[in-house]
Amino acid sequence: MVSAQLLLTALMGVLLVGVAAFLSRVEDWRSYTPAVGGGYGGTTEIGHAEKPSGLVRWLTTVDHKDIGLLYGTYAVVAFAVGGLMAFAIRVQLVVPSGLIAGKPYYNAILTSHGITMLFLFGTPIIAAFANYFVPLLLGADDMAFPRINAIAFWLLPPGAVLIWAGFFVPSFEPAQTAWTMYTPLSAEQPNPGVDLMLLGLHLTGVSATMGAINFIATIVTERDESVTWANLDIFSWTILTQSALILFAFPLLGSAIVMLLLDRNLATTFYAIGEGGGPILWQHLFWFFGHPEVYILVLPPMGIVSYILPKFAGRKLFGFKFVVYSTLAIGVLSFGVWAHHMFTTGIDPRLRASFMAVSLAIAIPSAVKTFNWITTMWNGRIRLTTPMLFCIGFVSNFIIGGVTGVFLASIPIDQVLHDTYYVVGHFHYIVMGAIGFAVFAGIYYWFPIFTGKMYQRTLGKAHFWLSMIGTNVTFFAMLFLGYLGMPRRYATYQFDGAIAPLNLVTLSHQAATLGAVLLLIGQVAFVWNLVNSWLEGPTVRDGDPWDLKETDQHGRDFQFHENRIERAIADGGDEGEAVTDGGTESDSEDAETESDTTAPEGE
Amino acid sequence: MSEQPGVSDEYRMASPWPLFVALGFALSEVGVFLGVLPVAVAGILLLGASVTGILRESGYVSDVWRVLAALGGVFALLGAGLVATQVPPGSLAIVETVAAPNGAVGRGLAVAIAGVMLVAAAATGRVVGTARL
Repeated sequence: MVSAQLLLTALMGVLLVGVAAFLSRVEDWRSYTPAVGGGYGGTTEIGHAEKPSGLVRWLTTVDHKDIGLLYGTYAVVAFAVGGLMAFAIRVQLVVPSGLIAGKPYYNAILTSHGITMLFLFGTPIIAAFANYFVPLLLGADDMAFPRINAIAFWLLPPGAVLIWAGFFVPSFEPAQTAWTMYTPLSAEQPNPGVDLMLLGLHLTGVSATMGAINFIATIVTERDESVTWANLDIFSWTILTQSALILFAFPLLGSAIVMLLLDRNLATTFYAIGEGGGPILWQHLFWFFGHPEVYILVLPPMGIVSYILPKFAGRKLFGFKFVVYSTLAIGVLSFGVWAHHMFTTGIDPRLRASFMAVSLAIAIPSAVKTFNWITTMWNGRIRLTTPMLFCIGFVSNFIIGGVTGVFLASIPIDQVLHDTYYVVGHFHYIVMGAIGFAVFAGIYYWFPIFTGKMYQRTLGKAHFWLSMIGTNVTFFAMLFLGYLGMPRRYATYQFDGAIAPLNLVTLSHQAATLGAVLLLIGQVAFVWNLVNSWLEGPTVRDGDPWDLKETDQHGRDFQFHENRIERAIADGGDEGEAVTDGGTESDSEDAETESDTTAPEGE
Repeated sequence: MSEQPGVSDEYRMASPWPLFVALGFALSEVGVFLGVLPVAVAGILLLGASVTGILRESGYVSDVWRVLAALGGVFALLGAGLVATQVPPGSLAIVETVAAPNGAVGRGLAVAIAGVMLVAAAATGRVVGTARL
């Protein structure tokens, strides 16, 4: 024990010395800047201008676009991990006895799949888009607090390591709490893997909160003079609303988690049975965060769809104002519905009824959006590009996910379907069918901006169709399983045939797994397309790759893209070569400044 | 330029500190909550130093040693406060409490030790340092 402590102390010492050494090296490249006095001026590589090169650039960047790419890469890796976990779940359930894993490992994979997808993929991928595009769409130089932006990102990798630690740290076991971490189960599992997961979750919460504060400050204070509240784009509106939700929801999750950690480690009794708030307190706190979290995850994807869909319908977004109002309405209502997750816990029926009413009311702003998307496409000049296909897929899946949600909001139906696969099918239509699809739409639409390259169209379309069919096969089968009474979270389902029609249940599980195979093939195509096109795809030299000028929809994002291409050409096509001789440095800088200031404004 | 997506060359956009602020925060949280003293101390040292660094770099403060000492003082007080909660009421059995630390005392000690080390580092820096960075 003592030797372990000594080893750990030595390790930490080495770490700190390493950090100090790294910092002193980094000081070298920082010293050339005029502010410090140019001590290294003689050896300055002017070519790298304001950023170090290689890995150090990515470790030290505070540029919103770089951070956006870091968030995106991180989220795609997390999506792959969470996706493979989902696939493992589906393989397990092909036969009633469970095909590949024992119950504890199944529970761990199930827990980790949920947490990975929501906290390590969902929130970060939205931050990726928002970091890259909100400042561009606002005409801002960068985020309001660029360094806080970088801190928010760098909290995520330690968070992921902690959340997954149970799988690879010897003598620890992964958490088996399900993503909702209900007490007393989560308070009483002695495994330290649960503590690590809670700490990781806490870090991702701190990260999200920092990001949200930054987005609010950026959108409120950093707008270009030409960007008013009246013509603020729809994506920034949804990010603003989402950030406000994060600001109220995530600190609450953080506090609830700290209380749970204290219960687990320091013998407090916040959630102890018969003491304090009791186990039900956790459900109230968790869902007061958890339900707004659903809208934290869905509002920006709705913004992405509202932004992209009109571009390929050749029309402006129908009822723009009402789409904004509905976003704000959903944001407000989202805090008044949390107890609809608790209809079967025996809470006061009068409370239940009021939560049912508010939950049903959310259908109204959601429907406003849906009808506006459909009306935008009505009589439009629709171009079925890959991003547009994903937008239409979003609308279609959102309708199914939304309507099944309306049924669940109704108390008597919820009492029958609570904790069945119907719920799983419902929210996967939203998280995969809607949020996932909007993310894909965003990645394909902005791929030329992210990478300067174009993706492969055929692969993109294959990705769409495999995902669309896979999603509907998998999650419709789950809705059906719910009607059959199949409870969620079970590692096996060897029921007595008298309780449930086992053959039909097995068949539905197999259908869901078949859909998961289609989804997996689709996502392999997606990742291949992403990586291969980035590395080897043709360089985009057109400032308007989507022909948006024809319909007067060339926004600030592609305006930035066009300016960047023009600057690259003015520099001789390669900025590195253009400045190595040093003699033209000031000229080229002037030219850049000029082209910046004379560049036509976006929309 | 398209070879380097995302590069914007208009103004300075690099800082070494955010990575270490985040790492310091993560290590201190893990160390304190799991009660692992070396990790907690190292994490708080890294956090305190990086926060000082990032404040200096952003121009919010000019005297790094004073900020470092202040942060160290806050951590030392927090840690000492946590230890104090475990001293039996009405007695001054501090030595006994610290000699046989329970969960809260061990954690409080870790935070306090790190705080004192930060203050010491600041004092040393003030004396030995050649210039105000």
